[in-house]
Amino acid sequence: MPTNKLYEGVSDWLQSAVETLSAAGMTVIAPTQGEPGVVNLTRVTSAEAIAERYDNTLLPLKGQFFPITETLLEFERCEDGDVEIQTEPLPAPDEVIVLGCRPCDAAAMGTMDKVFQWDYDDVRYRARRDRATLVAFACTTPSPECFCTSVGGSPHGDEGSDVLVFGLGGDDSGGRVLLKVNTDKGRQFIDRLGDRVRPASEGVQPPSPPELARRFDTDAVKAWLDEGFDSDFWQQMALSCLGCGACSFLCPTCHCFDIVDEATWNRGQRRRNWDCCSFSLFTLHASGHNPRPEQFSRCRQRIMHKFKYFPERFGRIACVGCGRCIRACAAGRSLAEVLTEVDARQKG
Amino acid sequence: MSRAMPNVPATTDDHALIPMDYTSSKMRIASIVDETSDVKTFRLTFCDEQEGEAFDYRAGQFGLYSVFGAGEATFCIASSPTRKGYMECSVKRAGKVTGELHQCNVGDIVGFRGPYGNWFPIDLMKGKNLVFVGGGIGLAPLRSLIWNCLDLRDQFGEIAIVYGARSVSDLVYKEELETWRQMEDVSTVLTVDPGGETPEWEGEVGFVPTVLEEANPSADNAIVITCGPPIMIKFVMMSLEKLGFGHEGIYTTLENRMKCGIGKCGRCNVGNLYVCKDGPVFSYSQLQELPQEF
Repeated sequence: MPTNKLYEGVSDWLQSAVETLSAAGMTVIAPTQGEPGVVNLTRVTSAEAIAERYDNTLLPLKGQFFPITETLLEFERCEDGDVEIQTEPLPAPDEVIVLGCRPCDAAAMGTMDKVFQWDYDDVRYRARRDRATLVAFACTTPSPECFCTSVGGSPHGDEGSDVLVFGLGGDDSGGRVLLKVNTDKGRQFIDRLGDRVRPASEGVQPPSPPELARRFDTDAVKAWLDEGFDSDFWQQMALSCLGCGACSFLCPTCHCFDIVDEATWNRGQRRRNWDCCSFSLFTLHASGHNPRPEQFSRCRQRIMHKFKYFPERFGRIACVGCGRCIRACAAGRSLAEVLTEVDARQKG
Repeated sequence: MSRAMPNVPATTDDHALIPMDYTSSKMRIASIVDETSDVKTFRLTFCDEQEGEAFDYRAGQFGLYSVFGAGEATFCIASSPTRKGYMECSVKRAGKVTGELHQCNVGDIVGFRGPYGNWFPIDLMKGKNLVFVGGGIGLAPLRSLIWNCLDLRDQFGEIAIVYGARSVSDLVYKEELETWRQMEDVSTVLTVDPGGETPEWEGEVGFVPTVLEEANPSADNAIVITCGPPIMIKFVMMSLEKLGFGHEGIYTTLENRMKCGIGKCGRCNVGNLYVCKDGPVFSYSQLQELPQEF
């Protein structure tokens, strides 16, 4: 069966999808409103819980596959001096449907896949990826901080999603929708919805994406970064950085992690936790030597990694323009503004 | 792309993905040697005999060692792959994991995963004169390679070792230094920093780069392998240039902080390279192309 096929969903398709998929034993993850103004992906069993309007989830999609914290192994020191090690089993293979991530977050998984699946294959990450179907809801109203179009994406981008859903009634998903199938997994999802979706009528096309001006050119940014490591620009641009790490924690492509033991008396766990290259301790050697001793060198690393080193290594930019780092920054710093400045320097 | 660099064994993309669950093997501490007041060498054997028999590595590779409850830390493998049945690591007490390791006794069980990373280009070194330049605990990775070469002595030309520490009591592997000093086919120069000597000290007094220049090893058909504190490496490189050594023939091993060891956790990155995957062994010419963040 060909992919890229369009289907129309009737007005209660979402309610039906959640019920049908849940009844079939699948885990449905969807954006829900917690605290006022905060939408995040949580497990739902009814479509009523799904947030109707939202720019994007506060936390990025990556956490569904690379959790904030996870157990790698458990250990217990026995009285005879031996140590019992229990490697954490793989996540259960039950199917997971993510219903309502944004296209930028789905695209970001392509970046995560590159890291977790080169040379060594991170088995827990892969298990979570393999069992999940990503149904992205196309953006109707990008927020002011969004800049996906500047990094090769689009509010209607279909990279990384198995199905892309376009709201036809003005809102995101609640009413009549058009579903675009991108992958085999997406086709299986459509098949499970039965009569709640039907092939789109002849000539029906997805709506045009909302306008979102490109703010900088990543080729120009890369060209400047290639020569700009020693520029005094970095000291200036980093002055306001508090080194809090909020940008990295909310970034859908940041993937740095720490591995630590947490133990009480004779037993404990080895855990993997999100970490961040903006922290001064991140690269600190036991000797006291620190390869990136100043905040500007850490700010530079974060941008160099996303827009120069990662593309050189893995062939793609490690940024999808979701704007979370800008929304979250307590110091009002903007990655898009920094890159616009870099772009201007290159062209200036 | 600058990551395709000469003289470094390929570590990527030429084989199937290796499944990774971050679990550790159990190893028993077979013996402990107090090298200095804050450095101990641990000899480890695999608890699972089959695992021990299957275990293989090359000089220059590293592993993630753990004390269960304290966490993991990265150290090079300090013993030679030519010596089978055990593995050794030398650990300077500096933080949480190393502190806990220093509390361990013979018979205690620790964790290990590895070996990871590339290795010294021993195949390129065959038939060449070798100059080893070490400082402090930086002798540990060199020791693996030195014994590797000494165990295959007839495959290499002249072997020179220049090693120094802050003081006499900070010299590691003291018995082996004496063994090397007495070997007729190895030229060993030992030194301590000015002020670090004792009345009985028979070696040199002076910083490693100065002593290296005085030793004046020939650059002809030679390869240098150096490891030590970053500041020592910097001045050793300048001395080697004075002595006429080309950048291509100088190798060192970087000790950036690591958590995963397999190119995922993002901690050891220098430019577009992962020290854990593309290193830890680098030629001096490679290092010069990198951002100076190591």
